[in-house]
Amino acid sequence: MGDQELEFAQRWRDNAYGCFSSGHKFCREVCPVMQVTRNENHTPTAFHASIVAMEKGLVNVEDVADDFVHCTQCGACELRCPNTLMTGDFYRHRTRTVDVVKAMRALMVETGNEREAWKLWNERLALDHNEPVLGDTRVSQAHVADWAIGLDIPVGGETILFVDCEAAFFRTSYTRAFAQLLQKAGFAFGLMREQWCCGGPAAEMGYQDLALKHATHNVEDWRAVGAKRIIAPDPHDYIAFTEDYPKYFGEDYEFEIVLGVELVNDLVKDGRIALTHPVERTVTYHDPCRLNKRKGVHEAPRELIRAIPGLTFKDVDRVTQWSYCSGGGGGLPIEKPEITREISRRRVAKAAELEVDTLISACPWSERPLSEAGHEANLGVMDLFELVAVSAGIEP
Amino acid sequence: MRGVAFKSAVDDHVLDELRAIIGDDARVRPDQSSRAFRSRVPAPFPVHRWADHFPDVVILPKTAVEVSEVVKLANRHRIPIVPRAGGTGLSDGAVPLRGGIMIDCKLMNQIHEIDLVDRTVTVGPGINMLKLNEELRKYGVIYPDDPASYPCSLVGGRIGTGGWSLLGARYGHTRDLVISMEVVLPTGEIVEISEGGGRKLRKSSTGLTLKQLFTGHQGTLGITTQATLELVPRPETEFAAFFAFDDYMKAYETVGVLTRCGLATLAGVVLFDEWKIAYLRRDDEAYIPQPESVKAVVAVAMYGRRLEVEPASREIMRLGRSRGGRYLGDEISAGDWASRHDRYATPLHGRDLDGQAVIMSWHCEDAALNYSVLPQVREEWHAIVARYRERYGIFDDWGMFAYTSGPHKPWADYLVEIDVGIWEQKLDDETWAAWVSCKREIAEVSLRYGGSITACHGATREGDAELVPQELGSAWPVVKAIKRALDPNNVMNPGKQSLDEAYE
Repeated sequence: MGDQELEFAQRWRDNAYGCFSSGHKFCREVCPVMQVTRNENHTPTAFHASIVAMEKGLVNVEDVADDFVHCTQCGACELRCPNTLMTGDFYRHRTRTVDVVKAMRALMVETGNEREAWKLWNERLALDHNEPVLGDTRVSQAHVADWAIGLDIPVGGETILFVDCEAAFFRTSYTRAFAQLLQKAGFAFGLMREQWCCGGPAAEMGYQDLALKHATHNVEDWRAVGAKRIIAPDPHDYIAFTEDYPKYFGEDYEFEIVLGVELVNDLVKDGRIALTHPVERTVTYHDPCRLNKRKGVHEAPRELIRAIPGLTFKDVDRVTQWSYCSGGGGGLPIEKPEITREISRRRVAKAAELEVDTLISACPWSERPLSEAGHEANLGVMDLFELVAVSAGIEP
Repeated sequence: MRGVAFKSAVDDHVLDELRAIIGDDARVRPDQSSRAFRSRVPAPFPVHRWADHFPDVVILPKTAVEVSEVVKLANRHRIPIVPRAGGTGLSDGAVPLRGGIMIDCKLMNQIHEIDLVDRTVTVGPGINMLKLNEELRKYGVIYPDDPASYPCSLVGGRIGTGGWSLLGARYGHTRDLVISMEVVLPTGEIVEISEGGGRKLRKSSTGLTLKQLFTGHQGTLGITTQATLELVPRPETEFAAFFAFDDYMKAYETVGVLTRCGLATLAGVVLFDEWKIAYLRRDDEAYIPQPESVKAVVAVAMYGRRLEVEPASREIMRLGRSRGGRYLGDEISAGDWASRHDRYATPLHGRDLDGQAVIMSWHCEDAALNYSVLPQVREEWHAIVARYRERYGIFDDWGMFAYTSGPHKPWADYLVEIDVGIWEQKLDDETWAAWVSCKREIAEVSLRYGGSITACHGATREGDAELVPQELGSAWPVVKAIKRALDPNNVMNPGKQSLDEAYE
């Protein structure tokens, strides 16, 4: 075993032992990947056990590389871990699985055990500074703000709206809806001069240098225009800005990060956005993992949904949703698209049991797989901001 | 190795045969990581000898026929077979002692039939109770098996280990809740095991009753590939009450009073001793602090229809207070009972001799004991653990609890458990041997007081497996004859429960 592996195992071993010594696997049945594959290698407990095994010289990074692809980094395992549930972090032994997966994937890259599809994906990111979300059609700086054509959004200012990758090039209707809601409320904001990917997905797939490079670029761009606050409508960006960036930049990271769904909810509550157009739909809500499970944000989207007139809302409680995921996160759809498809199919089937016509999400990355599954199951999938925009009378 | 000869390993030829049977290379896994992660369960583990427990190959079958063909192959080549479901067992049932082929049944997790008329559900062994009940709740019924590992253990493992249910006093345990099953025998035949002949019959007196034989055998007699389970009405309400005592014996007497009350909705009565309270007090930040005067706690729970439980709860309150018990309030009672599954895995830390918090594994030694001997056993068990703790410093005493374990007869025998923290990271050959010895001493006490080594976790591994012949006494030759008859080549989970003696 190489020095890097040994160093890695020693760094993470106490955290891993917290899980290994328990071994009770409460995480297993909430893990979206495990629910599909039923393969014990893909359990969060196996991830931790592999670090203990690595320290003992029983496995090396090559042995476990494929296992560590099987994670959406949804964070359900951490919540369901009895240690986290019952004792918090009192002994600093909270089981940290998302961090472990990211770290192991970084080790995979460092040791030449990277996965082929992730490698290609991130090569394209390095080239175009946005992820290749349009497949063979290249993305580029020249088109990163095409979604905003006709909306007259200025560049720069104290408040910056951050829109990258999936939301900038693929799910643009969601982005337009969000920007128009802010405009309707008279909320001033600008775009970046040059917007690169947040770098979060690259970090999730183990490409740390690339992630840092993109983060550094974005922070410099914000500073150059005097930005003080960044609005992140995409939960993945929100995670990157509130968890990755503070680690990269430490105390020099001065920005206020505003979550899009909380901002729109506040604007509606303050009466700055009037929801006057009834939407006659029967809906349920899919908690995006990076809001509910990772950040504990579950009230704001529900308040917003309930504020839309005409909707019949059949909610599923947020704890039950710990075991739901779209399968769209953590790079899984790039390497294991068939697993993402099955996770989304199951999520949509759960929604269909409630006899709704629409599944609402609040995350652009979840909406591609959910929409595909919804299409097959004849169930509509809509973004929350698009629905709110309809109710606010905004013409797309 | 006694009595039998094994092929040393699964070679390439055997692997080819396995791949031909399964027809899907992704479900035949000889790779290092697949083997490593399926070589342990939450029981304390000699981490320094981890590789000794690796299976040679892991199979993920989807059908009974696949299981059968793999077992036939193993029997033909004299290769050990180890069945594994959730791998949450607290003895070593799902851990290979001699390598071989591991049959991991997690992909067999289908619900085959829900029969709301005759009140049964038929499932694959890879399904989890919580997941099953999520499906059943829409029909107003549940499968009431409720181990502490409810969120993650699987039906197949419950059957193989003869698991115990936290609601057992009300609804029975796995052995009472499995109506029939399909089993692959050690020679590969697929047989139906039930009461008499009917798959959904709960009681028959035709011929010999085989069902119990195939419950709790720890994978030594076969592999369950399908099970038909009992359904009960989803309880309309639950009631839990926790009572604090300043004296263990008063709490003990209260347990006796509560369990003899005759209320049919009584689901369980639990007695925590002062070591347990002290442990929770010092090491569990989530535990709602109790005054120093609290030396024992009794928890009681009831399940059923509102019209039964609500009036009965008033009687429970009266009885709980009748020997000086102090009701701990609705918040603790409802909250602690609701977290009964999570709390089981909470203690990931204990104290070394210097009082420092360190990561320890939780382990519990359990026994089935009569009510009358609980106080004496408690004293002897604590004394044993104290000796090992004092000498080695990597063990910690996390207290004891006793739990009604007789289905429908809660006054009868008790599941009694002492929880021991073990600093697994520090284990070496000497301290591992010390642990095994400690375990054996605890089991010996149980036998001396007319109890059983275990009520639910299985006398499977070194430390207590060697006492199985002593406990079974004059019945031991019968057990050996059965094992030999069903498994002529000792391929089914060899080395467990001292059953190798059947081949001497």
